[in-house]
Amino acid sequence: MHLDAAAFEKILTDALGAGEYADAFYERRVNRSFRLQDGKIHEAGLVVSRGVGIRALSGECTGYAYSDDLSEEALLHAARVAALIARDRAAKVSIVRIVGEPAQAHSVYDAADELSANGQSATYVDLLARADVAARAYDPRVRAVNATLSEESQEVVVATSEGRYVRDRRPLVSLAVQSVAHGAARGTGMFGDGGRTDIGYFTRRSPEEIARESARIACVNTEAIEAPAGEMEVVVGAGSGGVLLHEAVGHGLEGDFNRQGRSLYSGRVGERVASDLVTIFDDGNLAGERGSLAIDDEGTPGQHKVLVENGILRGYMQDRLNAGLMGAESTGSGRRQSFRTPPLPRMCNTYMPDGASTYDEIIASVKKGVFAKSFAGGQVEISKGDFVFMLAEGYLIEDGKLSAPIRGATLIGNGPDVMTRVVMVGNDTRFAGRSYTCGKSGQYVPVGVGMPTVKIASVTVGGSSLG
Amino acid sequence: MADSIALAAGAVESAVASGAGEAEATLTVVERFSVEARDREVTTLEQSTGRSLTLRVFVDGKKAMLATSDLSRDGLRKFARETVEAARHVANDPYAGLPEAQAFSGDGSALEMYAADVRERPNEAKIDDALGLEALARAYDPRIVNSGGSHVVDVVATITLANSKGFHGSYRGTQVTRDSAPIAQDGASKRVAHYGSAARGYASVEAVDSIARTAARRAVDMCGARKPQTTRCPVIFERDIAALVLSDVFSALNAANVAVGNSFLIGKGGHKIGSGLVTIFDDGRLAGGLGSAPFDSEGVPTRRTVVFRDGVLETFLYDTYYGRKLGAASTGNASSGGVGPTNFYLQAGTASLAALVESTARGVLIVDTIGFSTESVTGTYSRGARGFMIENGELSYPIDEFTIAGNVVEMLAGIDAVANDLRFDGSVVSPSFRVAEMTVSGT
Repeated sequence: MHLDAAAFEKILTDALGAGEYADAFYERRVNRSFRLQDGKIHEAGLVVSRGVGIRALSGECTGYAYSDDLSEEALLHAARVAALIARDRAAKVSIVRIVGEPAQAHSVYDAADELSANGQSATYVDLLARADVAARAYDPRVRAVNATLSEESQEVVVATSEGRYVRDRRPLVSLAVQSVAHGAARGTGMFGDGGRTDIGYFTRRSPEEIARESARIACVNTEAIEAPAGEMEVVVGAGSGGVLLHEAVGHGLEGDFNRQGRSLYSGRVGERVASDLVTIFDDGNLAGERGSLAIDDEGTPGQHKVLVENGILRGYMQDRLNAGLMGAESTGSGRRQSFRTPPLPRMCNTYMPDGASTYDEIIASVKKGVFAKSFAGGQVEISKGDFVFMLAEGYLIEDGKLSAPIRGATLIGNGPDVMTRVVMVGNDTRFAGRSYTCGKSGQYVPVGVGMPTVKIASVTVGGSSLG
Repeated sequence: MADSIALAAGAVESAVASGAGEAEATLTVVERFSVEARDREVTTLEQSTGRSLTLRVFVDGKKAMLATSDLSRDGLRKFARETVEAARHVANDPYAGLPEAQAFSGDGSALEMYAADVRERPNEAKIDDALGLEALARAYDPRIVNSGGSHVVDVVATITLANSKGFHGSYRGTQVTRDSAPIAQDGASKRVAHYGSAARGYASVEAVDSIARTAARRAVDMCGARKPQTTRCPVIFERDIAALVLSDVFSALNAANVAVGNSFLIGKGGHKIGSGLVTIFDDGRLAGGLGSAPFDSEGVPTRRTVVFRDGVLETFLYDTYYGRKLGAASTGNASSGGVGPTNFYLQAGTASLAALVESTARGVLIVDTIGFSTESVTGTYSRGARGFMIENGELSYPIDEFTIAGNVVEMLAGIDAVANDLRFDGSVVSPSFRVAEMTVSGT
């Protein structure tokens, strides 16, 4: 079936059935990657994901079916399966009209319009080899280097029963380097960068820089001592410290959890949820950032959203379903892993803008605590609000100075408790290396996080040393 | 079936025609049904059949892999050719290649992987299961006032493998999952618990009322939880959380990690690592096991491997490539281009979980963890947790917002009691066990 306006009209008419709304999401994603280990290019990979996801909405109910077979028979079958959810509902008069060509979304990507479809293999291989050499040259303790380079192009077309018909082409590149160093103990360092840009990015951000950062962290970690246990002052590092915002606040502000009254932030817009030093944005429009989207996976343009302003909760992140049921507008936050899964309200690039303090002032203010310089990731349970973030690189702070590096530990806190204890915010906001991926209900999407250096008066550090 | 073999064999032929010396194709067809309910409403209903193909090609000891959902004739040919082209940029590797030719006979029916009731059960009954999970969880206790949703998901998967050495084989399997996530109101706070179980069919999966009750009890039991004091004490891991610890052990035994220096068990083969209670199997032949299959992703027959015996590390787990590289035979653990578990489990003990608690004067019982980082090279372990304080052999009060920390090697050595509650509802499973001492970090 040639997927033109007439085809989408036919699919959506069947999907709508007696429901209120239907949409179709066509995706063609091609991902090319090379993996390096033992100083050699180990393997090449090619992933092709192509199909159509069809959704029917009726009240709170979603009917969903997808097809990777683009024949008319298969697509209309999927449309009718999706429509089943609405079969007991009173039909609303609705005629689907899709006309013309899909409108091209205004790009927020830092890439050439047409990605090179092929023939870049030699470039990929060269970038990986340079990363390998640089990581090993950084320090003789670096014994193993594993690196993966990938470049992806995702074409999407969204058509809806309300006549929306839009397209987007999203680039995504990443170079991730893991170094293993042997010293007093073994240490690993993981660092990655990339974004919604093309392979030309690595002429500006060299693979050597990325590799050396990975090697540096590995070498630091060979000297790491056991992390302490108990509640203490914690300074969260600029950049990947944004994982804290993503977990402690971001997930709890997603529309589905709030509509259903499951989040501890449900019904609290306008209330104080953090210290007045805390402002948090989520933005789909940052040029080239990993979580940026010209349009979301429901065809709504990406937006800049104020989530928390000077400690006051300002709003949620919405997809179409939840916005509709809450009497709000979509904020361009409807995202899905692929055509196989329905959209959910998700974050794009979540960050905190600059505060007034300097990094030096913040470190100097800590008598005894932990500097959590960078994070491997985090997780949250959104109902009570307990969240964790996992250290990738950390140090003890003693008498206002960094001392010994500490081993990977989990830090745990409760979202509003911790955000209320933010007592200093640095003037050094930056985005983390562009390598984070967020998981929700089994769906994984690329996101960005950004943060200035921040001091929290008390957090539980989950090390094993009672010292 | 014949169509599937023809499609897989056709992909192999395309790769060979493009210049691959060897090639292997796997066609996976997944029929999936999923229903989510919240309170009295069906909130999501999904039903689809997806097809995808993976193709591994070898060109003079250089390998590349394709995974595609575009199974059109032109699409397959084009991407097979591109995969072969990409392989030419890979370094030559003497260990890369297909396994030696394998004789395959039978469809694995002795492994009890297929339950007919998955296709036979009407959708209405599956939907009623999901609504039943919601209703029974709410009926359990008046404090259950909300829900993160209950799910019933079933899958029929058909795997067909063909390679250029003449191997072709096919098998099918089913899986059913039921889960529920009730939310209890605890003053101003909300307590969510998640509980579920999986099996090959509807007849064998844990019953709706049992899942709903367990999920609701877990939510209600956490009401009034407080943060414990920082201390060192014995830690009992409840079954499902014990299985997560076993996942970290599997990662360290995975030859793909061992080969690149990414395992805390490197150089420890033949050594006594665990306590005498640590006997761990990887058994791809377990009847009804969710990780069972007649052959692995390269067509190598699966088998039962003793990984740890009485605390001694007997072997790592290999596919063909990492076996050749590290001087061992494949253990039948190839899994979509890497190394994966079949049914990986710690051997059960004889005492009940309740008896483990009774024999613990002071400690904690962990029923849930949050977070996922274990340092791969050192085994440093740290997780957010919730559970119960144990005093004088009794669960005295619920605790949350704390962490437990230690080292996986030391935890294996410290296992001093293993319960009898092992069940095979996942690919990596464990009975509950107790570690003699770990750090609990709270206030």
